[in-house]
Amino acid sequence: MHISEGVLSAPVLVAGALLTVGGTALGLKKMDYDDIPEVAVLSSAFFIASLIHVPIGPSSVHLIINGLVGLLLGWMAFPSILVALALQALLFQFGGFTTLGVNTFNMAAPAIIVYYLLNLPVRKGNHLLTVISGFAAGALGVGVGALLVALTLVSTGESFFNVAKLTVVVHLPVMVVEGIITAFCVTFLKRVKPEMLEVRR
Amino acid sequence: MKNDTCKSQILLVLSCMFFLICAFCIVREADAHKVNIFAYAEEGTVHSESYFVDGSACKNSRIEVFDEKAGTRFLEGKTDEDGKFSFKIPKATSLKLVLHASMGHQNEYTLGEDEVIEAMGDKRNQKQNKEPAKSSSQPAKISVKTQRENLAGNVVASVGRSMSESEMEDVVEIVIDRKLKPVMGILVRLKENSEKPSLTEIIGGIGYIVGLMGLIMYLKSRRSTRNER
Repeated sequence: MHISEGVLSAPVLVAGALLTVGGTALGLKKMDYDDIPEVAVLSSAFFIASLIHVPIGPSSVHLIINGLVGLLLGWMAFPSILVALALQALLFQFGGFTTLGVNTFNMAAPAIIVYYLLNLPVRKGNHLLTVISGFAAGALGVGVGALLVALTLVSTGESFFNVAKLTVVVHLPVMVVEGIITAFCVTFLKRVKPEMLEVRR
Repeated sequence: MKNDTCKSQILLVLSCMFFLICAFCIVREADAHKVNIFAYAEEGTVHSESYFVDGSACKNSRIEVFDEKAGTRFLEGKTDEDGKFSFKIPKATSLKLVLHASMGHQNEYTLGEDEVIEAMGDKRNQKQNKEPAKSSSQPAKISVKTQRENLAGNVVASVGRSMSESEMEDVVEIVIDRKLKPVMGILVRLKENSEKPSLTEIIGGIGYIVGLMGLIMYLKSRRSTRNER
């Protein structure tokens, strides 16, 4: 779901960049000294997750783990994802530097949504609720991301319904896989280190 | 304090997990979020191949062909099941091929003017070679029949007399084409592989993140010690 260079028009690119700058500033402000290693580890994880492809379904797509990043980092997901995407653009030529803002927003905004909706049930719920919320977090991160990408591509003249159908259908297997991964991660973290799930507001 | 060590241990375990995952998955596999296009010109035709970063073909993807200098669009077409798309050279100029794959994936390849002209030049040379042959044959009043015989008995003729330059060129071209075909395939595959992320780049990227983390932590710790003073 990395939008390449030269696809989007300037206003969309600028809007995406501005939103990302705002989100990143907010994330950096909330980031405390003790959070930095966690942000860095999740940034590395996000950086690598894009290389793990899910060979199920009509097209080969990759893991994103923005749901997990959002659940653990909240607003700090913005700087974390920005760094990972910048390095992916630099080293793998995934996406591009002009589209960095749009791509970061498309992946980090779902992370924030996931954080606000599901961080509390994951932390406070019983085992079953934690598993379900974890799964929902993983699936929602990818699903909302796919919708945002479709919405961005509407500006290129494609019809939202067609693009959205394609991006969501293609990412259905990823949603399932990420749901499972995220559910596994949060149950593990909750048992071993529940403080990691707490995010400073 | 105990909390801190526990946290760092978990971070260590997490990072080890991801390293393991990458060791297992990345080397063989990649994914489909970058597209590549590669093209070459040959005998008046441009052949292009499009593929995702994992090497799988871009099927039914739209390709537009532009004049690189003027920016005008010549034609557009769709790739076949193998991600291939060929078209006749529309004009002797550098051509820009833009590949539009689904979901915002796009890439382009520019075919240099020299290469295009050379590929077209083959055709022109052939025509030029044929025309003098005709014009010279008419004043000499050599019958069409003997001409045909000459062409048909190419081998005999070449044994009998030295080959003409144009015949030589044709033969050499055919042989070279045959020899170069596998080499072209290897080149395309090499290019495909070079576009894949290498382990060096992956580990380098993680290194960058760790370095950035250290830098930010250093800056923050300096600021906090200054505040304490």
